[in-house]
Amino acid sequence: MSNTKNIHKGLLERFLDLLLIALIIFMTLKGGTSGACAACKYQRRRCAADCPLAPYFPAEQPKLFQNVHRLFGVRSIVKILEKLDETQKPEAMKSIIFQSYVRDRSPVYGCLGVTQQLQYMIWLAEEELKAVNSQLQLYRSQPQNGQNQNQNHNNHNQMIHELGGDNKQQEDVTSQQLDLGMGLNVHNNQSNVVTPFFSPLLPVSETQQPQMSYTYSCSEVNNNGYSPPAYNTDSGKEILTNNNNVWGGQNRFLYNVNNGGGFSNQNESCHEMKSNNGVMAIQSQLVNLQMASNHQQVEEDEDAHEYDEIHQFLEIIDDRQSFADSKEAYASSSGGSLKEQIDEIGENELRSAATCFSLTSMN
Amino acid sequence: MSNYTNSPCAACKFLRRKCTSDCVFAPYFPPEEPTKFANVHRIFGASNVSKILHEVAPHQREDAVNSLAYEAEARLNDPVYGCVGAISVLQRQVLRLQRELEETNADLMRYASCLGSETTSAYGGRRG
Repeated sequence: MSNTKNIHKGLLERFLDLLLIALIIFMTLKGGTSGACAACKYQRRRCAADCPLAPYFPAEQPKLFQNVHRLFGVRSIVKILEKLDETQKPEAMKSIIFQSYVRDRSPVYGCLGVTQQLQYMIWLAEEELKAVNSQLQLYRSQPQNGQNQNQNHNNHNQMIHELGGDNKQQEDVTSQQLDLGMGLNVHNNQSNVVTPFFSPLLPVSETQQPQMSYTYSCSEVNNNGYSPPAYNTDSGKEILTNNNNVWGGQNRFLYNVNNGGGFSNQNESCHEMKSNNGVMAIQSQLVNLQMASNHQQVEEDEDAHEYDEIHQFLEIIDDRQSFADSKEAYASSSGGSLKEQIDEIGENELRSAATCFSLTSMN
Repeated sequence: MSNYTNSPCAACKFLRRKCTSDCVFAPYFPPEEPTKFANVHRIFGASNVSKILHEVAPHQREDAVNSLAYEAEARLNDPVYGCVGAISVLQRQVLRLQRELEETNADLMRYASCLGSETTSAYGGRRG
């Protein structure tokens, strides 16, 4: 009799154990897939069916929400979303996620650093274009004077070199991914090159080759990575014209100069640049003039391409696979392999305009 | 640095609290620019800004604040895209310029190669 009781008791205990295990598995599955979004998980609360953040923060991408939470905060995001139409909310969230990601990678300068660097690249490209065009003019105007052309060609090569690279470097610039991870080797020993945006390029420490490399880990991303939408907003252009005039024209932003690529040395290299007097300060008025003159040209092209690019972007952002695939790339970002990863990405990235970045889990 | 005997900084004025001598906002939000803090607070919140300031080195805090102010104003002007819209515009411009540069360089190379062949043939002719 007692044996039977013991057997029943043992069976009951086993049954209860199995029930408990099943319950734990069920709860885990519930939380891991169709359960709480990353936002609610982070805040350790129940994810309601009408959670406003759930569509934008999948549970498998907790880092996304962490970045946004650190910069904006939940309340601010919800307030922003409340003021927008349903159609605008996904776009707004994408820009917020991107902005937060950039701030995570660059805590001091954030998106403004990106803007400034792009402006600098535009200036560089325009200067080079002027030089090349003037050289072409010479060739065209004197087609029969072989000796002069030879000399001019040599002068042109020298000029190109002075502007920041030989032909090989130019090819590197043009062929590599044109995302925010564009790297330019600026040899900072050309005292005769005076930029409108900067004080004359001062020589840095001779042991140091400053490398304007704003290589996001976005460049590590796979080909289906996250790209910022091709915004063609009036306010975007307005921001450019008002750039650096926000607070009394006293904005002097240091370029993030890295020596090894990536942002890991951002603060250190900025500090080194300061101490070595290699600081380039941006003059706001000249930026405004530059931007204003460029806007009109850009506007025509943008109207034609905006719609297609935004759709392309929407397709990209909907591809959840991109987040999973980019995890490996993001995980390897802390090393110095950004440049190699940039080079791997092909022409498609150029067409998709540029900022791809990896939104991956850090877990 | 503001303290309660001097004029409080814009942040402490906005938050209606005493501006102490160790106020983290005081050096970067002068009382003459109340809108700066107001914008930053509306978008990011004072506590987030304070955390960011504590995370960066002291000599970089001014730049950090200015970049936050820029982003906040951009977001207020354009709640959907914020400052990312400007980045997108610039990126397109870079792409356009790069394309133009490639084409122009290709033209130049064509001229240079033609010149090279002319010079060689002229030199060879003179020698021969």
